[in-house]
Amino acid sequence: METKYDFERKYRVQILQCSRCGFCQAVCPVFGATLRPALNARGKMLLLKEVMDGKVQLNDELIETMFQCTTCAACAESCPSGVNVPDIIKQVRKDMVNIGSCHPAFKGMNEVLKNHTNIYAEDDPEDFERERNKKAEYVYFIGCVGSYREDEATLETLDLLDRLNVDYTLIDEVCCSGVLEDVGYDMNEDLVRKNMDMIMATGAKTVITGCPYCSRTFNNKPQYAELKDKGIKVLHITQFLKDFDFGVTTDKLVTYHDPCDLGRHCGIYEEPREIIRKIAPNFVELRHNRVDSLCCGAGGGVRGAYAKNSIAMARRRLEEVEEVGAEVVLTECNSCVHNLANAKLRKQKFKISNISQFVNELMEEAE
Amino acid sequence: MDEKIKQALIDIVGENNYTDSLIDMVSYSCDASEYSQRPSCGVWVETAELVSNILKFANREHIPVVPRGAGTGLTGTATPVDEAIVLDLSHMNKIIRISIEDRLAIVQPGVVYADLEKALAHYGFFFPPDPASGTVCTLGGNVATNAGGVKGAKYGTTRDYVLGLQVVLPDGRIMRTGSRTMKSVSGYDLTKLFVGSEGTLGVITEIILKINPKTTAASTSMATFDNLEDAGRAVSQVMYSGIIPSVLEILGRDTIMAINQNTDLDLPEVDAILLAETDGYTTGETDFQMGKVIEVFNKNNARVVKKAKSEKEASELWVARKSAYAVLSRIKTHVVLEDVTVPMAKIADLLKGIKAISEKHNIMIATYGHAGDGNLHPQFVYDGYDPEQVKKKKAASAELFQLTIDLGGTLTGEHGIGLQKAPFMTMEHDPAAMDVMRGIKRLLDPNNILNPGKMALDKKNGN
Repeated sequence: METKYDFERKYRVQILQCSRCGFCQAVCPVFGATLRPALNARGKMLLLKEVMDGKVQLNDELIETMFQCTTCAACAESCPSGVNVPDIIKQVRKDMVNIGSCHPAFKGMNEVLKNHTNIYAEDDPEDFERERNKKAEYVYFIGCVGSYREDEATLETLDLLDRLNVDYTLIDEVCCSGVLEDVGYDMNEDLVRKNMDMIMATGAKTVITGCPYCSRTFNNKPQYAELKDKGIKVLHITQFLKDFDFGVTTDKLVTYHDPCDLGRHCGIYEEPREIIRKIAPNFVELRHNRVDSLCCGAGGGVRGAYAKNSIAMARRRLEEVEEVGAEVVLTECNSCVHNLANAKLRKQKFKISNISQFVNELMEEAE
Repeated sequence: MDEKIKQALIDIVGENNYTDSLIDMVSYSCDASEYSQRPSCGVWVETAELVSNILKFANREHIPVVPRGAGTGLTGTATPVDEAIVLDLSHMNKIIRISIEDRLAIVQPGVVYADLEKALAHYGFFFPPDPASGTVCTLGGNVATNAGGVKGAKYGTTRDYVLGLQVVLPDGRIMRTGSRTMKSVSGYDLTKLFVGSEGTLGVITEIILKINPKTTAASTSMATFDNLEDAGRAVSQVMYSGIIPSVLEILGRDTIMAINQNTDLDLPEVDAILLAETDGYTTGETDFQMGKVIEVFNKNNARVVKKAKSEKEASELWVARKSAYAVLSRIKTHVVLEDVTVPMAKIADLLKGIKAISEKHNIMIATYGHAGDGNLHPQFVYDGYDPEQVKKKKAASAELFQLTIDLGGTLTGEHGIGLQKAPFMTMEHDPAAMDVMRGIKRLLDPNNILNPGKMALDKKNGN
């Protein structure tokens, strides 16, 4: 029988491979926050099996689960049967968008990026008091969250680059648009072109990104392959900063939250820790760390579409910070910082910060 | 769903704790077994009183109720029947009390095994039965299926640790069984009756568990055997040595070959690999025990014996055993994991018999498991979309159960009967025992509302 959907053409074998063991429940952040099996990876695979068997229609009834996945990939890591759920979900979302079944928030994001340069539809970008689009050795690419929601954190990161005498420039960046692929749409070619042209015009051979998602998009999406072809390297800021000596330390008990986009999706676990080791001898790991890290709840479009559950996921992560008694939780992803900070309770006195921001503050204090 | 029934359930649990949405019905349609049936609705409950109100209503209306924890059971115990209400207990997830001085923990049924383990670790204690699904499974399900794990040889199964329960009976009465004491012979042992009862007699809403101080040292070793009989004899002779290892696992040739074909582990292709662990409080003590075990391995023609010199080496020795399920799960679309159990001296006979069944029906059965307590996991690997293979699998399963019973064993060591093994209950239990079990079911659940169709307790699924 002719299959109707791309998800079935691409992933039929994997979906059938799910042995329904349910081990994903232990790590799925959406299940952890809701305790609702329908939202767990196994629940999603069971539904897709039934869609393939013709017992369930792919329609609006499935939006609540198919569009409620942070694509954190913890399930894929722990799956004994090797099912890559996030890849399957991304394809299902595309199939659903094609038949007109899409969460309004996700549809809105695609519409916004047709008419604006960023996911927040902000038309007045912060200039961060720095010249843009100049010739430089490095381009610093901030990302939407860092530009429009965590701008103070970004300013601190830029100050750190100045302190370290890095020859960098900002550009009139636009959304990398990688997120569209996660929420059922295709990347926006106009935005991709703009970013690549602006990067190449600076003559820089390396792009440093503040956002791990942008880094992932530049490095992995074929739409950005031209960067590699032109010999332009893309580094996440933790990869760039790991070789510097900062000459400052803190006595505070520090912990680290692995962003899914940096850790599970890019395999970057040690670089952030190398930096932290230099500045915080008093370091403790969270219960779930590295490949087992627990998602902050912001990814895959879930923060915009299911805000309440997204915050509940962040709260679970912050409980782990409380558990180890850390005074500072560091990460290097503005999206994680944003969601964790929004979820922080008044009684939780610890600080949430990007590593780069924290290092800059330490250096500033030492001056 | 009948609107009146729906409204009555919403009146009990509230609108937010009732669901009949498609996505929930599909997710509740099965557990980790191959069975599947959509229920008519699901409810989330947080108290025994709510469970009681649901059961009173369902009993009056004769509506089946299927209790559910994490849905990790392998036999269809939590697979609903048609028109059933799924009673999702995962929201009852409070650890009510940990009392080190009384050596017990009191928990709600929805507490995840690993969460209790973490809470107990803080005091240097643990709850020994450690099912492979420990990061996910809930303690209510562990009690309802009398779950076990790799340390069963030394530490037993869930049954050995349940001191008391709070149970809601099918008519809604809330009953307490057992006590908070280490010993009690006061009346019939109602507690143990409910352990392994698979949600057919009542809904467990509170559990009193005995806990153990955690050991602090372990020694690990691995031995390969060219000859299955030698491995089997080694298992029985370990018992003569006076040592009870905390772990004594076996991997059969088919499992070893499958691991080699699908990973880079490059295991020696022998008839059997045994993995042993001894535990205690000092390495002197655990090494002494392991020395005795290794002596037995050597006496029985082990080709290679490796003893881990560090924790890292120990975890390397565990890799093959730990990867078995995952490797076998990836080969074909369907896996069924059995848990037949035989007297320990019969392990080699069981393995030989399984090999013959596998060859006779031309179906892959890879076996590994807990040699130390006679509990093996023959894992059927097949394509469940191919009717021919499904037929072969069915025939091979029936022969496996007959072989097990012929060897003096039991259908299930730690997974339970559920739907899967219900047709074979009379193979193991004589008519009198079946009558008594069915009588108990009728006494407590005359309307057969609680998890009907399981364990061959009613006509529909019995034989």
